[in-house]
Parts: sequence; C-alpha cells; structure tokens
Amino acid sequence: MPHRNCFDPAVETAPREHIRRLQLEKLQKQAVWTYERIPWYRERFRKLGVKPEDIRTLEDVRRLPFTDKQALRDNYPFGLCAVPLDEVLRLHSSSGTTGKPIVIGYSRHDLDVWSDCVARLVVMAGVTRSDRAQMAFGYGMFTGGLGLHYGCEKLGCMIVPAGSGNTERHLMMIEDYQTTVLISTPSYALHMCEIGEKLGFDWANSSLKIGLFGGEPCTPCMKREIESRMRIVCTDNYGLTEVNGPGVAGECLSSRDHQHIAEDHFLWEVLDPATDEPCPEGTEGELVLTLLDKEAFPLLRYRTHDLTRVTTEPCACGRTHARMSKVRARTDDMLIIRGTNIFPRQVEDVLSGIHGVASHYRIILDNESGMDRMTVMVELQPEAFSDSFESMNHFQRHIVDRLRQSLMITPVVRLVEPGSIERTLGKSKRVDDRRVKE
Amino acid sequence: MAVSQISVFLENKPGHLLHILNIFETSGINVRGFSTADTGDYGIARFVVDKPALALEMLRAQSCAAKESEVLCIRLPDRLGELARVIRIFAAAGINVIYSYTLVSNIIAIHTNNHAATEASLKEHSIELVSQDEISAGA
Repeated sequence: MPHRNCFDPAVETAPREHIRRLQLEKLQKQAVWTYERIPWYRERFRKLGVKPEDIRTLEDVRRLPFTDKQALRDNYPFGLCAVPLDEVLRLHSSSGTTGKPIVIGYSRHDLDVWSDCVARLVVMAGVTRSDRAQMAFGYGMFTGGLGLHYGCEKLGCMIVPAGSGNTERHLMMIEDYQTTVLISTPSYALHMCEIGEKLGFDWANSSLKIGLFGGEPCTPCMKREIESRMRIVCTDNYGLTEVNGPGVAGECLSSRDHQHIAEDHFLWEVLDPATDEPCPEGTEGELVLTLLDKEAFPLLRYRTHDLTRVTTEPCACGRTHARMSKVRARTDDMLIIRGTNIFPRQVEDVLSGIHGVASHYRIILDNESGMDRMTVMVELQPEAFSDSFESMNHFQRHIVDRLRQSLMITPVVRLVEPGSIERTLGKSKRVDDRRVKE
Repeated sequence: MAVSQISVFLENKPGHLLHILNIFETSGINVRGFSTADTGDYGIARFVVDKPALALEMLRAQSCAAKESEVLCIRLPDRLGELARVIRIFAAAGINVIYSYTLVSNIIAIHTNNHAATEASLKEHSIELVSQDEISAGA
C-alpha cells in the first residue's frame, strides 16, 4: 500500500487533473484577493493591462506580474500585507545579511496551511507519530525552528525544543530522551558528529534514525558523510522565508534528492532565467512560485532564483504531486572567472570524487595580478597525508588537474589542515570574492 | 634498529606548530629532535619523541594529519670530519639521503631511499645506531 505513508493521502495522491483543477480554482481566487487588497499588486496588474478575471487557465499565470525580493524590501514591513494586522498572528523574517530583512506575516489560516505542509514533509522523511524529534535549529525569526516545530506537533510526534548550540547538551538529550529525529542544519549535524566522536559518543548504537535538514544547502556529499558517521537517513526539504519557510517541498524516500511540491498550495513554474520563457518539463530553470492559499502575505510569481528541474512523472511512493530536483545552484551564485561560468557545486562534485580530501572547501577569488585567480582551499584528510613533499605535491597537482578538467580553468589548490575550514552554524560561506572591480 | 618518527601536516601559519607542541606537552611527550620544512603554503613537521605511539594517538584524537614513519638515528663522535665520513659512506653505497636533522646531543636522524642498505653500510663501518629504547629512555 504505497499510500499509507502520506500525511494527507487524499490530497497527496489525487489524480493530476484534480490537482490542476484545484490549482486553477485557487489561482483565480488568489489573483482577486491580491488585486483587491494590495495596492502595489493592483498597480502591477494595471501596468501589464491584466485583470484577475483574465485568468482562465493555469497557463494564464504567465500574464500575472512577477514578485522579487526587492518588492518585499520596498514594501517593508507591511506594505504587501493583505489583511488587517489584527489578523496577523505571527511574523517571521529572513536573516537580512544584505540590507533590511524581509518580513512575512501569517494569519491563523496561513499557520494552519503551513504546519500541514511541514507535517507532510516530515512524514515523507519517514517520521511517524511514535518518533521523538530533537530540535537543533534556533527558534526566533528564522522560519525553520517554529516551522518544523509546529509541523511535528501537527503530526503528533514528541518534540524536544532544545534549540541551537550547546552540542554536549544535545548529545546528552539524544542519549537520555532516546530521540529518533534530529532537526538541524547539515553543518551543525557535522559539528555534532565531530564533537560526539571526540567525546566517544556511540553513533552506531544511538537512538537517532532520521535527520531533517534545512537552513542551508545540504550537498550530496555532506549528506553521505553525515549518513555514514551518524548512521541515520538524512533528508532535506525546500522552502524559503518569502513563501512561508520550510514546507514548499519535501524529500521523498522513494526518489532521493527529489522533493514533492505541495501543489495544492504552491503553483510552480520553471523559467529560463535569460528569457523568462517556460522551460520544457524536466529541464533546468529558475523556480517561480505562486502561493495559492495565503491570506496575509500572498505572493504571485515569486522569483526564487533557485535552479531546479520539475517532473510530473508518477513516483514510486504513490504521491502524485510533482517532484523538483534538489536545488544545487542559484541563478545568482554563478561565478564568472576569466569569462568562464563556474558554479561552486562543480568544485564540490570534483572534490567528492577524490579520495583523501574532505567535503569542506572554500573558494577565494582575487585579481591582484590583473587577472582573475581562483584559489580552492581543500581540507586534507589525515589518511591521505604522507611524509613526503613529492607525494603531497603530486596529490595537489592531481586535484588541480581534476578541477581543470571540470571547470575549464586552472585553479590554485591549497591543501589545509583537517578541520580548519570553518563549519558555520548558519549558511556555509564557501566563496570569498576579493576581486577589485573597476 | 629504526626509530619511530611522527610527521604532521601543517599550514605555515603562526600558532600551528605550537598547537602540536601543546598536545605533546599536556600528554607528557618529550621531543628528542625535530625538523620543519615547507613549500610556501604548507609544511611537514617531523618529530622524534620518547613515546611515539602515544604521540600518534593524541594527534589523531585532535584530528591532526599525522603519520608514523621510520628514521635511522646515528650517534656521531663530536669530531672533525665525522659527518663527512658518514655521508661519504652513503655516496659510495649509492644511498640517497632524502632528509636529515639532528637530535639532542650528538645524534642525527636520517631518512634515506633504502634503510636496509643504509643500516648495512653503517654497520660495515662500525657507526653506532641508536635504538628506539635509547631514544625513549633519553639517550
């Protein structure tokens, strides 16, 4: 019975034509809601010469205006709020690493939809009501903490709201409360591995079974590393603050690294970032999301800048909701080095295929000599160290060769000590661009 | 007759060698000789210590890239021409010294391309090799 592992089987396994009919119904209502209640959107509709009633098919979504992060900044804090603030029960905001944060509000209905979406992804990862989930995300304005918290509560499993930091206390809680699910960023999970290993924590026989990761990209090679060291199944999910937070899509155990989009709440488009034209199904493009069920901060055609592919092919798990491939690059993290387009994930892919280096790396770009130079700092693993400069230099040249074959430019490779590349608690900062621009 | 040597991969930055020495100090490991060499951005520090097994264990526990290898330790009388005499023996036997450094007192550590041939040549010329036990005991 493939259907038994759904949080909401009737919705998650509905026939495609039902999903599309529901989406159109909701899109039409959402267009009216947004148009009537938010002056900024009304102005955009007017400029495009479009009215909510022009939405007759799902494809008509393309007539609606785009929304980007800048719109949220320009309307900070409540300019895009569609309900009286009395009806807003909670606010969350992004970290605001550049300029003002962006803030999102939720009505009671929105919170209910959100916790439903999170409960779905939690179940998709294999969590049941009998599980005990230990929270290692920070609570606060970040959507991950409270988002996962209420999603787990909705499912009905035990949640241990430990919060971020204090690794030794986390290890103690795993042991004492026999928790089975860890909710954390992948880099914090790696940090826990390392501390646990130093303190002699017995990962092989611990109660933990499942990792629910988020808050930063979880690369396949980090995932493999955590799975083998913590002896758990690691899953991640997709979401962003602007569209609720976690819960847009969850990883399916039947097709790893693919995530089912909650299509009854989100309408997806995959667009060619250069032309804004739709990409054929299954090809990579920018994910654009329209919220179908949002009262307080409805967003139409939000440009995520995340690159993905989406397929509506049936999935072995029985769910009929479309699957997006794990996001591994953004339209804005492409680096242009000496005129060549390079994504940091290419470096990651090469390094994960070389025995003797860790999954952590940093890229430093400079142009001190007048020409772009790319330096890749690579962590040597203890077992790859040999007491000979000749073999170390050979190893270093081998890494350079492999990177050159993939990137089409020759980087400088610097071997650094094991554990010396910072494991940040938040987003791992992998690229340091020090180039002076004229 | 070989002696254990502990080599550590180090970035050439202030404090990195100290980190290793702190680990030795807190574990009661006495350094009997050492050398450092670098390529500009990373280096290898090599140590002859009194408790090599413990040293390796403590370094690994701190996730250091450390490796155990062998060196031959030769005791040379502090006299004119003694070093030249040993190196002349190697040259004659076609033995290549990859690196060498001095230990406390009049002992030198050498790593060659062929330790068995080196030992044989030294024995033939009655040059004294120092054992691990002597190093550990404070020869």
